Amino acid sequence: MDYRVRYLPLSEVTEGMVLGCQLVLAERGVVRFSLPAGHPLTEANLRQLAIHHAEFVCIREEDRRSDEERAQAVAAHERRLAHIFRSADLGDPTLTGLYNAVLAYRRS
Amino acid sequence: MPGHVNRNQIIERAGRLPVFPRVVTDILATLDDDNATMGNLAHHVEQDPVVTARILSLANGAAHAHGGGLVRDMVTATSMVGIAKVRELVLSLSLARFAGDSRVSSYFWEHSVAVGVCAQELSRQVAVCPDHALVAGLLHDIGQLWMAKFYPLEVQQVRMAVSAGTVPIREAEKQYFGLDHCEIGYILADHWNLPESVAVAIYHHHGPAPGLGQPLADVTHVAEVLANALDLTRRDDNQVAYLSPASCAVLDLDWSEDQSQLFGRIEARAQYACAAFR
Repeated sequence: MDYRVRYLPLSEVTEGMVLGCQLVLAERGVVRFSLPAGHPLTEANLRQLAIHHAEFVCIREEDRRSDEERAQAVAAHERRLAHIFRSADLGDPTLTGLYNAVLAYRRS
Repeated sequence: MPGHVNRNQIIERAGRLPVFPRVVTDILATLDDDNATMGNLAHHVEQDPVVTARILSLANGAAHAHGGGLVRDMVTATSMVGIAKVRELVLSLSLARFAGDSRVSSYFWEHSVAVGVCAQELSRQVAVCPDHALVAGLLHDIGQLWMAKFYPLEVQQVRMAVSAGTVPIREAEKQYFGLDHCEIGYILADHWNLPESVAVAIYHHHGPAPGLGQPLADVTHVAEVLANALDLTRRDDNQVAYLSPASCAVLDLDWSEDQSQLFGRIEARAQYACAAFR
């Protein structure tokens, strides 16, 4: 089974979703709340996140897309990125670095 | 064709914009003093039903999750929400209303919110106050708001020239106005008594000179580039044409490293924030 990690606004997070990375909520450098990667979120956790005014959560979910669907999604991302960078000089190492970083993020 | 505008004309016309929210400058001027900030916040919030409702709503969401009773007063609400969050909300909501009252397009404000979120996230990379980063991000294109408000036809012509790919935006603006939106934004920020670092960030957001020594300008520049690269507003004309290597170095950003956590945080927070202001 393949998995993918996504960052979701709290409004889209539901009970049973599994954390894709450690969740740490800090205020003025003091950790107020934390949960480990791989933890399945409970109703109580969702209440705690609301109490601490979390805005987003990183979750890990099964990637049920077929290989063809994934390839299509990546191709669409590549087309869009090429459009956004249409005026960029991709011989410039900084711009190329950013382009590749966004592309790698989209592919993940 | 307006001819070349000057500082006096910019300020005179700025007087025809809605009143710039005084609370923004008050909060930024007293960030290091929680008592003073609290006083400003309480004063502003008490007179502003929209901000009051939003903070009470947040506090009641938290109280409900705790199984507690209804929160009705601002002192309890502020203690539940936290002063940093209340400050962020007051800044954002005040500037959102200013933009709304100025009757700018929803795209303008969504882009501003996206850049504000990016700037806040990037401020973690360097010693920059997140509230300054938020305000610089929200106001980075305030010069364009001024232009669109008073010279809509000329702005349309600038956009057409830029879309045709014949000329960069700042150059096109200079042809029509004598000044570009970065320079006009700086004059407005200075006129509204915003901190010098915020005004400088607005002036340099298309690319600070290397060695400028104003990290907020680097944060704001990279924030706008990232907002476009990540397609946060999904506008067809989103584009990235330049990214300052010196600004990336100031922020210690190495694009060959995995940036998925930074990008993911920015996307989720921008989605949350844009939804909150719709």
